[in-house]
Amino acid sequence: MRRSDLGEFEEVVLLAVAVLSPKAYSVVIAEELERETGQTVSTGAVHAALQRLEQKGYLRSELGEATPERGGRRKRLFTVTALGGRVLNDVRSVRNRLWERIVPQTILKWS
Amino acid sequence: MPNATKRPRWPDKLLSRLVAPHLREEVLGDIHERYLLRVQRLGERKARATYWREVLAYVRPGFMKRQPVNYPNPTNMDMLRNHFKIAFRTLSRNKLYTGLNVAGLTFGVTCFLLIGLYLFDELTFDQQHSKTSRIYRAVQHRKTPNDDLTIAASSYKVAEESKKRIGEIENSARINRVGRANLSNPDNKNTFQETIAFGSSGLLEVFDFEAIDGDSKSGLNEPNSIIIVEELAQRLFNTTQVVGKTVIVEFMPDKPLKITAVLKNHPRNSSFTFNSMISEATIANSDDFAEWITNWDDQNFLTFFLLKQQANPEVAANKINNLLNINLKREAGHSVRYSLQPLADMHLHSENIEDGARNGNVEAMSQGVLLYIKIFAVVALFVLLIACINYMNLATARASNRSKEIGVRKASGAFQSHLIHQFLTESLVVTAISFLLAVVLVNLLLPAFNEFTHKELSLGFYSDYRIWIYTFVALVITGLLSGSYPAFLLSRFSPLLLLKNLKLQNKGDLSLRKGLVVFQFTISVVMMIATIVLFQQVRFANNKNLGFNKDLLLVIDINSGKVRSSAETIKTEFSRIPTVKNVSATSRVPGEWKTISTVKIRPEGNTDEHKIAYLIGADENFAKTFEVQLLNGRNFGGMSDSTSVILNETAAKLLGIREASAQQVEIPTRAMGGSYSPLNEANQPFNARVVGIVKDFHFQSLREKIAPLVLAYQNNPVYPIDYYTARIEGKDIPATLAKMNDVLTSIDPTHQLEYHFLDDQLARFYVEDQRRETLLIWVALATIFIACLGLFGLATYAAEQRIKEIGVRKVLGASILNLTALLSKDFLRLVLIANGIAFPLAWWATHQWLQEFAYHIDVEWWVFAVAGLSAIAIALLTVSYQAIKAALVNPVKSLRSE
Repeated sequence: MRRSDLGEFEEVVLLAVAVLSPKAYSVVIAEELERETGQTVSTGAVHAALQRLEQKGYLRSELGEATPERGGRRKRLFTVTALGGRVLNDVRSVRNRLWERIVPQTILKWS
Repeated sequence: MPNATKRPRWPDKLLSRLVAPHLREEVLGDIHERYLLRVQRLGERKARATYWREVLAYVRPGFMKRQPVNYPNPTNMDMLRNHFKIAFRTLSRNKLYTGLNVAGLTFGVTCFLLIGLYLFDELTFDQQHSKTSRIYRAVQHRKTPNDDLTIAASSYKVAEESKKRIGEIENSARINRVGRANLSNPDNKNTFQETIAFGSSGLLEVFDFEAIDGDSKSGLNEPNSIIIVEELAQRLFNTTQVVGKTVIVEFMPDKPLKITAVLKNHPRNSSFTFNSMISEATIANSDDFAEWITNWDDQNFLTFFLLKQQANPEVAANKINNLLNINLKREAGHSVRYSLQPLADMHLHSENIEDGARNGNVEAMSQGVLLYIKIFAVVALFVLLIACINYMNLATARASNRSKEIGVRKASGAFQSHLIHQFLTESLVVTAISFLLAVVLVNLLLPAFNEFTHKELSLGFYSDYRIWIYTFVALVITGLLSGSYPAFLLSRFSPLLLLKNLKLQNKGDLSLRKGLVVFQFTISVVMMIATIVLFQQVRFANNKNLGFNKDLLLVIDINSGKVRSSAETIKTEFSRIPTVKNVSATSRVPGEWKTISTVKIRPEGNTDEHKIAYLIGADENFAKTFEVQLLNGRNFGGMSDSTSVILNETAAKLLGIREASAQQVEIPTRAMGGSYSPLNEANQPFNARVVGIVKDFHFQSLREKIAPLVLAYQNNPVYPIDYYTARIEGKDIPATLAKMNDVLTSIDPTHQLEYHFLDDQLARFYVEDQRRETLLIWVALATIFIACLGLFGLATYAAEQRIKEIGVRKVLGASILNLTALLSKDFLRLVLIANGIAFPLAWWATHQWLQEFAYHIDVEWWVFAVAGLSAIAIALLTVSYQAIKAALVNPVKSLRSE
């Protein structure tokens, strides 16, 4: 598996889908990310990332129910596939391994 | 729920346009939901402020890319490809009709292109100069109480002062054609009689004459310089690299002229035909010139003005007239006015403008005739139209064969527009093929056509790009025109009827087809009649009794002073040649190609206005040589008769003289095409007595009525002799000519022999008519041929359609003659109707044309009969072939299967 397959933003979006599952769709994901990062995240950017992830097979989607605030339009709900889960795990373990090898006195500090 | 109407509307519109259909629902839902959330959290104002960023985030390829569909909408290209495929299939399946259509269109287009090239050449005359649109020719309008004159000439002062004083005028160019004289190369003694003209330095600045050697802009700046064209250079020096060499003009032997530039030969569509041009500065010191440059009133220069950019020619002309009025005082009743004629109009719009500033022995600039340009344009369009009609007729006639195809197409969902496109594609394909063939054909015919029209036309890669644009436009219009009627007609039918009956019975369509056939034949018959009449008139003109015998008259130009002054010796020497019967010396000859002088004349003692008559100087042999009949009085007797004149009948009538009995007449002034001037410095009139009257003879073209003519004795004070005319025997003419040349060179070794046969010269009056006649014959033939192709196709189709009917009739006992008559009858009727329309039309047109001739034939009834009958015969031949073929078919074959 090529690591370059998953961009940073994609990784975050993929995580958010996992967090919000089974009610993950672009608006709530964008809201969630905004709240978590404190930066503006547009649904368009999220949606585009979701499309890419789905194309790569990390996500699967279906149309959900329509709500009045959407003007009676349905939403597309995303869930993480098994492959998506494995990729997330891989990424996480790589990071964990690296974190564990950092000597405590070199812990980087905001100063 | 917050007020949703406050949400901006443009994002919805934008996104539903940009975002792919399958994503539209979720995307729009998302932005609406997000907006609401924002409104709740941040308030409406902030939500709105960030909305556009939200929306623009969707403007990326991932959202805009459409999903592939399983059943794609065919693009225009696909449809076009299909149309072409179907067109080629249909065309190759019906080879006969395709052949007829292509042949008809090819012929039509060939005629159209040939005539079009000719017209293009005529209409682009004098436009090869880069400043053409700003160059104007000065035209002088002169009025006196008893005559008006419009002449393309101006005085030196007008040309020069206008340039200096008038803001609109940037530059001016002057030409003065002083006459014909020998031009020779002093090294090898090559000598040629050429028109000698003087041009100002502005001539080369205003016009763009291309030089192949030397400088084309400054060649006329210095005195004693001359520019020549390559053709003359070749003749004089046998090479064109002659800049720096010198030539000698006969009348200025002490001034060798240095060649400063060699110009390219003039293109055929240039009004300028000069072979050489001497710088005006060369004669700046002469007495004549000194007089010219002070004069406001004369007509010695052909003048062109180059106006400044955006200058108004009328304003400029007004300023010239103001300038003239300040500097020139005239008697009451006399006026002179100038107008400016655009250079591009010079060839076709100079009908009533005299070509001035030239000696009487210099031929005028040739001109085109606008009327014929128009006639040819109409004829060309008609030929093309007839070819289009052929296509329409054949296409609509065969519509029922294609009814199944059209029905099925419609039933499976083709719109009317699809069918229209399909039929138009088909017609465009046919037209394009025809145009390609026509271009090839035109290139094959052009050498012959060029020879016959005296032009250098071409249709190839190097032709003017405008020709190709026009050709392409003509192609498209022809294709659309011929395709439009079938396309709109065939696409209109209801699919239900088409599939049920598999037949089209459309009355209106039939009568239109008939109308078109009638139209085709009307034009063909008109052209036939016009051709016959033209042919007759030209023959009439060439064979008419002119009042003198024009056969075997040899006219020799007098090209040197010695040859002129030794007239008596030369005449005696000439008559010693055994094959020469008579010799006469004259100033002009009947059938003259140069300007004949006119004089004012009135009986002495009479105080009426002077009458105007032509004057020709002649000797005592004139009547005998030309075989002109003397009515009363006597012929010239000899040298003692220098103050005698002989009148023609018309002149005698004009002056009220019945019998010649030495009546005194006075001739105070003369003109050579321009305005009248006194005969001599002392303003002494020429007083003469009328000694004889001759029968009228046609001394001009038959377009002119016989004008009053005064024959004065050879040494008259009006105009000296210019020609020797000999009546010779028809055998061994070259030997006779050689002997005559020997006589002349013994008098003056430098004399250049120049001769004409008078009958050839007379025929030249009508050579343009002959050319038009030939062109018309060919076009008429083409028209008839094309119309017959169409008729043949229609007849074939009619026979095919009625095959069952013919079978049944045959079984019931109809004879072959019956059946042939049955099938031919319909077409015959159409041709008869066409004749009925064509006759009055042709009568009117030919009558109009004949009015142009003072002496012309009458259009006789048999011309109509011949044209009408031949049209019928041709049509019958075309149709009956198919009719007989159909009538001969065994009925078993046609009735066997249903």
